Amino acid sequence: MTAPVQADSQLAQSTLLMKVRGMTMSYGSGTAENKILENLDLDVNTGEFISIVGPSGVGKTTLLRCLSGLLHPKAGTIEVGGAIIDGPHPDLAVVFQDYSRSLMPWMTTRENVAFPLQGKGMNKADRIRVAEENLAAVGLAGQGGKYPWEMSGGMQQRVAIARALAYNAKVLLMDEPFASVDAQTRFDLEDLVIKLKQEFGVTILLVTHDIDEALYLADKVVVIAEKPATVVDVIVTGFGEERDQVDTKADPRFGEARARILHRLRKN
Amino acid sequence: MKETTTSPRLLLAQRVAAILILLGIWWLVIASGAVPSMLPGVSQILAAIGKAFVSAAFWGALGKTLLAALSGWAIAAVVGVVAGLVIGSINFLDRSTSILVDFGRSFPVLALMPVVIMLLGSNARMEIVVVALSCLWPVLVQTVYGARRQEAAVSDTVAVFRIPPLLRFRRVLLPSALPFIATGVRISASVALLIAVGVEVISQAPGIGRQITLMQQEQRWDMAFAYLFFTGMVGWAMAAVLQRFENRLLIWKRQEND
Repeated sequence: MTAPVQADSQLAQSTLLMKVRGMTMSYGSGTAENKILENLDLDVNTGEFISIVGPSGVGKTTLLRCLSGLLHPKAGTIEVGGAIIDGPHPDLAVVFQDYSRSLMPWMTTRENVAFPLQGKGMNKADRIRVAEENLAAVGLAGQGGKYPWEMSGGMQQRVAIARALAYNAKVLLMDEPFASVDAQTRFDLEDLVIKLKQEFGVTILLVTHDIDEALYLADKVVVIAEKPATVVDVIVTGFGEERDQVDTKADPRFGEARARILHRLRKN
Repeated sequence: MKETTTSPRLLLAQRVAAILILLGIWWLVIASGAVPSMLPGVSQILAAIGKAFVSAAFWGALGKTLLAALSGWAIAAVVGVVAGLVIGSINFLDRSTSILVDFGRSFPVLALMPVVIMLLGSNARMEIVVVALSCLWPVLVQTVYGARRQEAAVSDTVAVFRIPPLLRFRRVLLPSALPFIATGVRISASVALLIAVGVEVISQAPGIGRQITLMQQEQRWDMAFAYLFFTGMVGWAMAAVLQRFENRLLIWKRQEND
């Protein structure tokens, strides 16, 4: 999680990091079978920020749980860095929507961030140092001794992001990470994620129902819809590295893309 | 915590008043002559308490009772917590052992005493075994219950970050079940004392229970009541210490609920 990738971002952009092919997921079987995802393909390049947007209830969380290895898809393959993934994998870290529950209240924020590193067998001095570094990266320098419940929702979600960063995975998966914070905090967290991507070259796959958020953050927006859900559109945003909550959203291309997605989603 | 809004001084006054009222009722009942005359009055018991306080035999007996109660309790706490976490966190174990656990918790261990005495003799070891068997169930039942209640988000987090089983056991399962474990451990502390004294009364193993029986045989009802009083005090002190310890250990739980 060190070297910034500005210099070789051209090269990085072209490297396929994560490849999903024909992913199909259903609950139940026989006549009671409820198909959620059907034959879904996805390509994620190194250093790329991809938003997956779709209406509520389309199966976004199921999709992310399949990608993170928490659920086993009925069919299809997931590859990261050329290796087939089956179950949770050290190359994948997840930021959950329910930050207040996914952080352990009996651990300080520092311990929460360091905990997965302990699981990796890192020694105590190193994991404390890495935890502090990553807390600083999300704007929580010197707050490691606090407990999650002493912090606001936005700060707790920053801790969850720091924990995922510290895990040093190749891909960061985010499940509606800003859905339960207020609007201003949400903007701050969006800009934080953009900053982290620029500074550390993290590859991010974010699931959201919010079209504006999807467009604002991503290099590429993948639209999923229908039942069972499948990819219905892919939009390359082309806003460049720098984003601004006012200017980017005022860009005419932003309006066009939003209209295109909204039109596509309302067809169902 | 709503009860902390009462000032400590008022609370103390209320508690002292409750004790005084109880003693007053006792005195009234004795004075009215409604009960057999062998029941000692308040002043006689107070004198006996003073006498017991300076008697070496009393302290020796109390030490033996406490040692047996605490040893049995400690064994039960360790076994109950480890077994409870394993059972509560593994679905099929939980399902398959639930009948056994329900059977065990309602089994009167004191009724097993003749068998245990036959196996181990009437000594401290037997007493510890009976105490441990009695204390095990409150701890086990509470721990199983606590371990079952894993937050889905916590389980997902543990799975995604591939936390190894032993680390998960120690740093996730144990702390998240701790509020329930603490209740079980606190309940079983008073059970430990009750059972230790009860075992001594029945088996005549040395300790407070045996002293109480001896005093009854000598018709020294005042001394018997004094010993009972001290047993109650010990039970109260143990509960108070545990409560303090629990409050410190579970500071995160209290904050979370606020």
